[in-house]
Amino acid sequence: MLEIKNLHAVVEGEDIEILKGVNLKVNAGEIHAIMGPNGSGKSTLSKVVSGHPEYEVTEGQILFEGEDITELDADERAHLGLFLAFQYPVEVPGITNKTLLREAYNTIARANEREELDPLEFEDYLESKLDVIEMKDEFLSRSINTGFSGGEKKKNEIFQMAVLDPKLSFLDETDSGLDIDALKIVSDGVNKIAGPEKAMVLITHYQRLLNYIKPDFVHIMMGGKIIKTGDFSLAEQLEAHGYDELQKEFSLNGAQ
Amino acid sequence: MSEVLQKETMLSYIDGKVEPKGTSISIRAINERGREELESTPFPTRKDEDWRFIDLKSITKNTFVSVEEAGTEEVGDISNHFLPEAMNTRLVFVNGIYNEELSSISDLPNGVIVGNLADNTDHDSVKSHLGTITNYENDVFAPFNDAAFSDGTFIHVPEETVVEAPIHILNVFTDAEKAFYATPRLLYVGEMFSKSTIIEEHIGLSNNVYLNVPVTEFKMFTGSNVHHARIQRDSKQASHVSRPIAMLDKNAEYHSYTICLGAKLFRNEPRVIQNSEEVDFTVDGLVLIDGDQIADTHSIMDHRYAHGKSHQLHKCVVNDSAHSIFNGKIFVAKDAQKIDSFQENRNLLLSEEGKVNTKPQLEIFADDVLCSHGATIGQLQDEEVFYLQSRGLTEQKSRELLVYAFALESVESMEVESVEKLLLDEVIKYTNRDDK
Ligand SMILES: Nc1ncnc2c1ncn2[C@@H]1O[C@H](COP(=O)(O)OP(=O)(O)OP(=O)(O)O)[C@@H](O)[C@H]1O
Ligand SMILES: [Mg+2]
Repeated sequence: MLEIKNLHAVVEGEDIEILKGVNLKVNAGEIHAIMGPNGSGKSTLSKVVSGHPEYEVTEGQILFEGEDITELDADERAHLGLFLAFQYPVEVPGITNKTLLREAYNTIARANEREELDPLEFEDYLESKLDVIEMKDEFLSRSINTGFSGGEKKKNEIFQMAVLDPKLSFLDETDSGLDIDALKIVSDGVNKIAGPEKAMVLITHYQRLLNYIKPDFVHIMMGGKIIKTGDFSLAEQLEAHGYDELQKEFSLNGAQ
Repeated sequence: MSEVLQKETMLSYIDGKVEPKGTSISIRAINERGREELESTPFPTRKDEDWRFIDLKSITKNTFVSVEEAGTEEVGDISNHFLPEAMNTRLVFVNGIYNEELSSISDLPNGVIVGNLADNTDHDSVKSHLGTITNYENDVFAPFNDAAFSDGTFIHVPEETVVEAPIHILNVFTDAEKAFYATPRLLYVGEMFSKSTIIEEHIGLSNNVYLNVPVTEFKMFTGSNVHHARIQRDSKQASHVSRPIAMLDKNAEYHSYTICLGAKLFRNEPRVIQNSEEVDFTVDGLVLIDGDQIADTHSIMDHRYAHGKSHQLHKCVVNDSAHSIFNGKIFVAKDAQKIDSFQENRNLLLSEEGKVNTKPQLEIFADDVLCSHGATIGQLQDEEVFYLQSRGLTEQKSRELLVYAFALESVESMEVESVEKLLLDEVIKYTNRDDK
C-alpha cells in the first residue's frame, strides 16, 4: 500500500536534513509501530508522507498504491486515502468540527467520484461515528480543538479518522496525554477502524499502546532513519533496556 | 479669497456652487451654517494628526459636480437589493435623491414615521434635533453635508413603540458621465423605550468615481434601543467619508455594526456620546479590502457620565496592497465612574504588500473604571492551513474557511437573516477572487 524508498528530506529553504534515507513498506491489513528517541524524525516522517509544505524531499520516493505521491499536495494525498493524526492537533477557532468534516468528507467523495452527503445525511452519518470513540455530540459544534483538553484533542483526531475512513493512517503519539480509560477507548476505536483493507502506522514512545493495538512490525527510528525492524518483542526489549543498547549495537554494526 | 486658500478648502474639489437648496427654513439654516464652516475650514492634510496615515488622493485628484450636472444613468431594476424582511419598510435614495417609487413604507406601528426629511420639516423632532447632534471639530465633511443636503431620511419612533421589521435605508449610486458628490442625511429620533433595527446600505451599481458623504444623527431618549447596521458596498472607485453619530440618554442602547466592502477610499468616524448615566453601546466594524482600497476608521466612544457599558470589536482583513487604518478613542470623563469599556482591533493580513496602522487610544480621567483595549496584526497560520488541507480541503478552501471564520463573528451580529446571508456571500466572494 505504502512504500517509502530512501527518503531524504530537509526543512524547506534551509540546509538541515532531517530524514536521512528512510525505507518503509506497509501492506494492506498491517499495523506498524515506529518508536525512537525524541528528535529522531518520527513526526517529520509522518508530515512528509502527508505532504507538509514545510519540508522538501531531496531524494527518494513515496509510493502509495503504486503511484508516486512525492510531489502531491496534502489535500490530494488525503483524497487518495492518507490520514495523519497529529501529535499536536491544531486549534482552529471559528470553524466547527462539523463544518470541517462535512467539507472534508464531501471533497474526498467528489475526488473519488462517490456520492456526496447533504447536511441532513451527513448529520446522521456523523452521529453514527460518535460511538466509535465515545465522543459527545456537543464536540461536533465546537470550534476545531479550540479549548479541548489534551486528551480530547487526541480523541478528536481518531474521530476524524473514523469519519473520513482513510486507507492508511499515521497516528503520531495519539496515546500521549491519554489517561488509562481514554487510552482503552481510543485503542478500541482504532481496532474497530482497522481491517484487512486498512493499514496503520503508530508512532509511540510506550509499549502500553501496543498492548492494546498489536503491531505486526515494530521499527526503531534514530537519526532520521529506520535502523531496526522487528516484531512486538522489539518493543518489549526497548521498554526494558532503552535506546542505549540499540544505539551501541547499531554503531557496532558499522551502519552510518 | 486667494487661489492658494481656495485650493485648501473642500470647495476646491467641487465644480459649481454649493448653494443652500433646502426648501424649509430649518434645512436652509443648516445649509448656510455648513457653507460658512466650509469656507473657513482647511481641507485636511497629512500634517494633521488625525489624517497622518491616509492618502486622500482619491478625493483631491478629482473634481466633483452635483448630481444634477453629472449626467447620471437611470437606476433600472434594483429589486435584487431589497431585503425580504423589509419589503414594506424601505426607503430608497438614488444618487442621494429620494426615490418614492422604489421606496415602500406601510404597515408601520401607530405613530412611527419613516419618510424623507423634506416632507417632514414641520415635525417637532426635525425642528429640535436636525443638525444639533453632529459635532466634529475642524471638520470639512460634516459641514459639506450640512451645506449641500436638501433631503434625507427621517425616522421617528414614538414612546414605548417597537418596530419589528428592520428599516432598510438603501442608497444606490448609478454610473454617470462626471464624478459627482452625494450627501445622504439621516435623522433618527427614538422616544422613551422605543426600539428598532436600521439597515443603512450604500451600494455602487457601477464602477464609477463619486464622493459619498453621509451624515447620520441618532437622538436616543431614555431607554430607547437601536440596532444600526451599516453596509458600505460603494463602487470600488468611489470615496466614502461618513459621520455617524449617536447621542444617548439614560438607559439608552445603541449598537452599531459597520461593514466595509467597497469604495477606494473609506473614512468612517463613528461617535457615540453618553448624555446620561447607564447607557450601553457598541461600535463594531468589519473591513474586507483588497486591491488598492483604503479603509480608515476613527471612532470615539465618549463616556461622560457614570455606569456606561461599551464595546468595540473592529476586525479587518487586508489583501493585495490595501491599507487599513484604525484609531479608536475611548474617552472617560472625570466623574464618569464605573465605566466598563472594551475595545479590540484585530487585523488579518493576507499579503506582503498590505498595510495596517492601528492605534487604540484610552483617555481616562475617572479612577474607578474597567477599560481594556488591544490590537493584533496576524496572518493566516500555516499550521492551520495545513491541518485543514491534510483533511482533504484544497488550500484555497482552507484559506477561505479561515478568513470566513475570522469574519463570521461580526457578520452574525447583523440579526437580520437576509443581511447575514448577503454578507457571508460577500465574504466568500472576497476570498474567492479568480485573480488570486
Ligand atoms: N521546521 C523545522 N525547522 C527546524 N528543525 C526542525 C523542523 N522540523 C523538525 N525539525 C527538527 O528535526 C528533528 C526531528 O523532529 P521530529 O519532530 O520529527 O522528532 P520526533 O521523532 O517526532 O520527536 P518526538 O519524539 O519528540 O516527537 C528535531 O531535531 C527537530 O528539531
Ligand atoms: Mg514527534
